[in-house]
Amino acid sequence: MDEPVLRIEGAGKTIKGQTILRPVSLSLQRGDVYALCGGNGAGKSTLLRMVMGILQPTAGRIEVNGLSWKDNRRSYAEQMGYMPDDYSFARGLTAWETLSFWASLRGLSRGRTAEVLEEVGLTGVRNKQVASFSKGMRQRLLFAQALLSRPSLLVLDEPTNGLDPYWMDAFVELVKRAAEDGHAVIYSTHQLPVAEASANYVLFLQEGSAVKQGAVSSFLEEYGPGGLHAAFSDTRRG
Amino acid sequence: MNMLHIARREIKLGFRNPWAYSFLALFTLFTLVLLLIHSSSSISGYTSTTGSMLSLILYLLPLMTLLIGSFSLTAEKEEGSWQLLSTYPLRTWSFILGKYAGLAIVLMTVAAFAYGVSGVAGALAGGGFQLRTLLLFLVFSVLLILLFLAVALLIGTAARNRWQALTYGVAFWFFTVIGWPALLIAGLGFVPYLWIKPALIFLTFLNPAELVRLFVVVKLGGGSILGPDYYKWVDVMSEPLGAILFAAVCLLWIVAASGVSAWAWERGRSRG
Repeated sequence: MDEPVLRIEGAGKTIKGQTILRPVSLSLQRGDVYALCGGNGAGKSTLLRMVMGILQPTAGRIEVNGLSWKDNRRSYAEQMGYMPDDYSFARGLTAWETLSFWASLRGLSRGRTAEVLEEVGLTGVRNKQVASFSKGMRQRLLFAQALLSRPSLLVLDEPTNGLDPYWMDAFVELVKRAAEDGHAVIYSTHQLPVAEASANYVLFLQEGSAVKQGAVSSFLEEYGPGGLHAAFSDTRRG
Repeated sequence: MNMLHIARREIKLGFRNPWAYSFLALFTLFTLVLLLIHSSSSISGYTSTTGSMLSLILYLLPLMTLLIGSFSLTAEKEEGSWQLLSTYPLRTWSFILGKYAGLAIVLMTVAAFAYGVSGVAGALAGGGFQLRTLLLFLVFSVLLILLFLAVALLIGTAARNRWQALTYGVAFWFFTVIGWPALLIAGLGFVPYLWIKPALIFLTFLNPAELVRLFVVVKLGGGSILGPDYYKWVDVMSEPLGAILFAAVCLLWIVAASGVSAWAWERGRSRG
């Protein structure tokens, strides 16, 4: 088997004696899509922020393509694209200017910027101010930002938050296409149908603990159609 | 290289920010009003007009610089921009210096525009400020912008949000611009008599507003109004070596403030 794109070994986070996330382990290969599911405060964003190097784990180790954040921060950052949960776009810039800025920080060409805007379907509104965009369009632009450098690993924090069903379907398609293109994808969501439609692995988190994890197919086998919802209810009962 | 990208974005955002235009309108209006009041003759050297201009600049520029500069940094935290940028292969000092350079260019353009309008209006009216005086005002303003922007970086670093930045900014402005003489009188009252003069000079170096004001007053030929306690200062600043010493102190201020800011942002980034 190939070296995993993402390897998390017993990574956990404690802040001032309070456990935010108990040790979690998982690994992702190219083309895998991993969904982190759970309620508010379950630890999903903490785990994703630790993967990105925004937070440092107080236990365990996280490696992306064999690199750790502490050993080589720059190379580590180049392996990943990140879509944050809580982001407000700067007022006064167009979609093109916003994306071009991010592309310039990664040393990418204008051609790549245009290509990614096309991929997420925003070419027609590239010269419009981002401030005038709907929530769905903003999420697409953030997703485009994460895709820019064709990273091995896409880390998406609550990418479906506040989206209507149309954009959720579009998101599922974007994630599937990214996986087909060879990206490994890990994302957090409250939307179990989205996870069922786009992910091949799932990790259920509850109050900072990993309570269940495995292949989506095995949950569907065990619980039947809509199995992730049944599995999630099971974790809450148990 | 990334520093330039950050600076370029800051310039774009700055010139599309309504704040920058309000500031530009206000600053231009005040320079024009002062010009009109004293439009009877050509103004050069240190006069009551140049003195009022210095006070006006001293009231307005540091406050606007502190607010615009610190808000720009706190916005990066509040809007989640820094969290995203910190996942990029971007050095923290490139981020801080890029912000500093971009904001400085925006603010200096605003000041240059206001003086330009004032200069042209004065020339058309056949009076106004002499070119040398106008240039000294511009230098005075640029120095205030550069020094107070460095302080704004510190404030934006320490503050969690714009409200905190507003409080810290106004407090710093108040103590360095408005309350400084009262603070000096109160503080120096506890110092032995022989130490008062050296303490006064030392404290002047700690206040960017006072540092720049005293330098420009001396350069405008108004050193005598500062009083006997500043004779030594006037002598030193009148010499070419004084200008070098002054530039070195300004540079130290800027390097120290931006260095501490970059260190604090990097510390937060690496500790997570």
